[in-house]
Amino acid sequence: MNTLTSFFSLLIFPAGLTLLLAGMFYDWFDRKLVARFQNRVGPRWFQPIADVIKLFAKEQITPGIKNPALFFGLPIVALSGALAAALYVPLLGFAPVHSFPGDLIVTIYLLSLLTICMGLAGWNTSSRFSLIGATRALTQVFAYEAPFLLALLGPAMAAGSWQIDVINDYARDHWFAISQPVGFIIALIGLMGKLELPPFDAPEAETEIVAGALTEYSGRGLAIFRIAKALELVVGITLVSAFYLGGLQGVVPFFVKTLAVLFLMTIFQVLLTRLRIDQTVGLWWRFGTILVLAQLLITILWKGGLL
Amino acid sequence: MNIEQNLQKAEQILAPWNKETTHPELNRLDASLAAENLRPAVTALHAARWGYLSAITGLDLGAESGQMEALYHFCSGPAITTLRVRLPRTGEATLPTIEDIIPPATFFERELHEMLGFKIAGAKSNDRLFISDDWPEDVYPLREDFNIEQATPVEGRHADETPEVGMVGENKFVIPIGPQHPALKEPGHFEFTVDGEVVTGARMRLGYAHRGIEKAAESRNWIQNLYLFERICGICSHTHAYAYSLGVEKLAQVEVPARAQAIRELVAGLERIHSHLLWLGVTAHEAGFDTLFMYSWRDRETVMNLLEQLTGNRVNYSANLLGGVKADVGPEQAKAIKEGLNFLETRIRHYLEVVTTDTMFLNRTRGIGTISYEEAEEFGLLGPTARASGLLRDVRVEAPYGAYHQFPISGVTETNGDLEARCVVRLKELLVSCFALRTILDNLPEGPLTVRMPRKVPAGETVSRVEAPRGELFYYIKSNGGEHPARVHIRTPSLCNWVSVLEKAVGRQLADVPMLIAGMDPCFSCNDRLVTTVGRTGERQTWSWKQLRQHGIEYYKR
Amino acid sequence: MNINNNQLWVKVIKKVRAWARLNSIWAVHFNSGSCNGCDIEILATLTPRYDVERFGIKLEGSPRHADILIVTGPVTRQARERLLRTYEQMPEPKFVVSVGSCSVSGGVFHGCYNVGGSVDEVIPVDVFIPGCPPRPEAIIDGIIQLLTHLKDGNPRPARKEQIIERGVA
Repeated sequence: MNTLTSFFSLLIFPAGLTLLLAGMFYDWFDRKLVARFQNRVGPRWFQPIADVIKLFAKEQITPGIKNPALFFGLPIVALSGALAAALYVPLLGFAPVHSFPGDLIVTIYLLSLLTICMGLAGWNTSSRFSLIGATRALTQVFAYEAPFLLALLGPAMAAGSWQIDVINDYARDHWFAISQPVGFIIALIGLMGKLELPPFDAPEAETEIVAGALTEYSGRGLAIFRIAKALELVVGITLVSAFYLGGLQGVVPFFVKTLAVLFLMTIFQVLLTRLRIDQTVGLWWRFGTILVLAQLLITILWKGGLL
Repeated sequence: MNIEQNLQKAEQILAPWNKETTHPELNRLDASLAAENLRPAVTALHAARWGYLSAITGLDLGAESGQMEALYHFCSGPAITTLRVRLPRTGEATLPTIEDIIPPATFFERELHEMLGFKIAGAKSNDRLFISDDWPEDVYPLREDFNIEQATPVEGRHADETPEVGMVGENKFVIPIGPQHPALKEPGHFEFTVDGEVVTGARMRLGYAHRGIEKAAESRNWIQNLYLFERICGICSHTHAYAYSLGVEKLAQVEVPARAQAIRELVAGLERIHSHLLWLGVTAHEAGFDTLFMYSWRDRETVMNLLEQLTGNRVNYSANLLGGVKADVGPEQAKAIKEGLNFLETRIRHYLEVVTTDTMFLNRTRGIGTISYEEAEEFGLLGPTARASGLLRDVRVEAPYGAYHQFPISGVTETNGDLEARCVVRLKELLVSCFALRTILDNLPEGPLTVRMPRKVPAGETVSRVEAPRGELFYYIKSNGGEHPARVHIRTPSLCNWVSVLEKAVGRQLADVPMLIAGMDPCFSCNDRLVTTVGRTGERQTWSWKQLRQHGIEYYKR
Repeated sequence: MNINNNQLWVKVIKKVRAWARLNSIWAVHFNSGSCNGCDIEILATLTPRYDVERFGIKLEGSPRHADILIVTGPVTRQARERLLRTYEQMPEPKFVVSVGSCSVSGGVFHGCYNVGGSVDEVIPVDVFIPGCPPRPEAIIDGIIQLLTHLKDGNPRPARKEQIIERGVA
């Protein structure tokens, strides 16, 4: 019985199918907003769905690859990572399916799985663009991962727990976006780095290395990677808004808050020029990490009653 | 210094080697030299800083005379000095190289070699650099007796031989860009050797858009050629037709009515606006700033509308006729153009502010690909790329033609020479253009649009230079008095500007490379109308094709 | 497994698949020696005035991701093999749109020594869009015509055999 409910929550609700639809919707919302900011009409509401179905119906080419098992396995691992991560966050405003002390760390690890899979996928093909894309993706992980984690630790410290559910409840009375504004901005931008959205899209910079690590992927492989990314978009936004925007309780607050976060991210995407990989790393380590550490220090001092 | 004094000075410099001097036109000096005197003569001109080498034209004088000619055109303001070297057509027609004196000459010399079979003695690179890799040896397309059957592919070779690329050496890696690549909307092939993210070597292969237009021009009549040349390049189509008609009209001694000249300048100005806005968008796209791309292209539609209203087509306008222009400007059109210009001017000012103040964009442009004044002169850069380094190379200012006597333009220069300066120069030029276009519209001369052109153009040769959006466009036209031109030689500005990319890419980040390529506003289709070249950064790139292939083969055997 | 084409779920899957293909078209652009005129018009279709993203059309960089290949220009000797290679890199089902008079027939460059002639001498073409250059509206219309053709259930030529017949591949 327990296994059955687990499967149901993993495959249908709240993860799985529901999350998939939500992911498609968020993907569309993002593209539509970007288009509107750029004075265009933008895609229709079903565009991401049509894209994915079409990709599934296409031939999958297996070009010169080093390890076929890895080539087919990586998209699935990436997708599983995103699906599993979804079980620990308050999706659609419902309490997480699973929750235990310290699940914050597990979730962040699961969210990194996608980038690591993309890195391996790039390394696995013989394409030079993929290899450079993979190197860049992995370099970028080292840039944003630490500040992103530290930024999420701020609310965790304040709530005195490393359990997402507890922090979510605690955040209901504490808008951390106001009390820890630096952490909020860093978490937001770190999420953009994680999702490789502009201006952190150097790993898939079209004008330099075509499509980065996924250059050689076609058909199903590409579709699954895209789905995994869409899911990660939702999960990441849920995490950030649950921590910083007064928690997520109920469906309406969920949509209002997460879409507001997505809106902010879109503005950054539209306004900023792509950073070179050295600039990205420099930015994160010179400013991001130091600022967020300072914020964390203040939180600790405040929590300890020293401030 | 006026033209006569300038030419006299050139004559004095050339006096020791000069066999025969003529003045075919008021602004031209034609000096015949022996091949062995070429190097000292070029050195003397270069040392005296008399102008710059604009182009080298090769001529096949036909089987009867049994001779070929190479014409070295030096331009200084409106004055042109041509060094004429005559060599036997058969056997060893050998010219000494001048690429060590004037680096960009290497492109011109390779063109001579590939197209007409001149041997270049002392050239650095003796690799096979023909049109396509399967082109047979000893077949030169611009020879008079060239026949398409001679060009059957050589057995066992591909048209596009590519060496194995991948790891070369310990930490080095070759990244190919093009001919099908999102950064290039046009074909060209680059190979960048990278060490991590840093570029350590660069080479390029052109010729993917080489169609053989110069040869085709010899079999089409004067009027057909107008439309052929317009299709050399879709972005600066008017300038090509403009330069060609100016040359032909000069040969036919036809005076074009003032109104037609003004309308030509009007279309050229609108084309410059369209071209530079397009460039701004593409550069922003290369930098990953798609919003600027979308906005500048949205505003570019305004000028496309104006061009369409004026000439009937968005691209390839066919505004020129030999002896005049096709389209007239009525009062409503003048009003529409002025309104369009007002809108564009506010937008251009806005973009000028964006490219000089947006921190994130400046991160990608300021201090990148900096070319100093001296380097710009040495590389022989042209157009906005040169003007960004403070070198005022603008035919409209230096040697006004057509209506530019009546409606002069002020030259815009910047001093920094980096990508930011190139953005600023182009945008400021647009403001100047907007101003000039308004002046033309207010003072449009009355009169007819065309004059009668003879079907046959009298024998003679002429040079016409026009400022295209990308720099000086050079046309050499020769007529034998028939219905067809005997030879048309075109040197487009992009060809001269390549050096700026290849030299400056080394040592930069891979991410800067598309920006550098875009920074000079390359036009592959202009470039490739005739030439196939492989450029390389000399000593810094130590792998030749052969070595690289050999290494690749050995590497994979291991 | 024996699949009966008349079974309901097969029909539904086919319908959904056809719908998705018609509404999501990713294109890759190849210039085989054109004068840029067509290329800038293709780019213009992406920009605010024409914005093809509203039809689900997107320009992709990698041929592996693409559904249609947009070719401009007469095929020059050197670009020919690259064109073929780009085409071969695309996953099935794939379509070719030839944009501009040059790519349709060679245009003004017909007979030049370095020009092959037209795109369909190298790869099979589904839609020809003439014009020098065609307006962005014409390009969009051409692609929409390709879609309508597919929607009506018309068969496509057997492409691989066709290439072999022409002796190119």
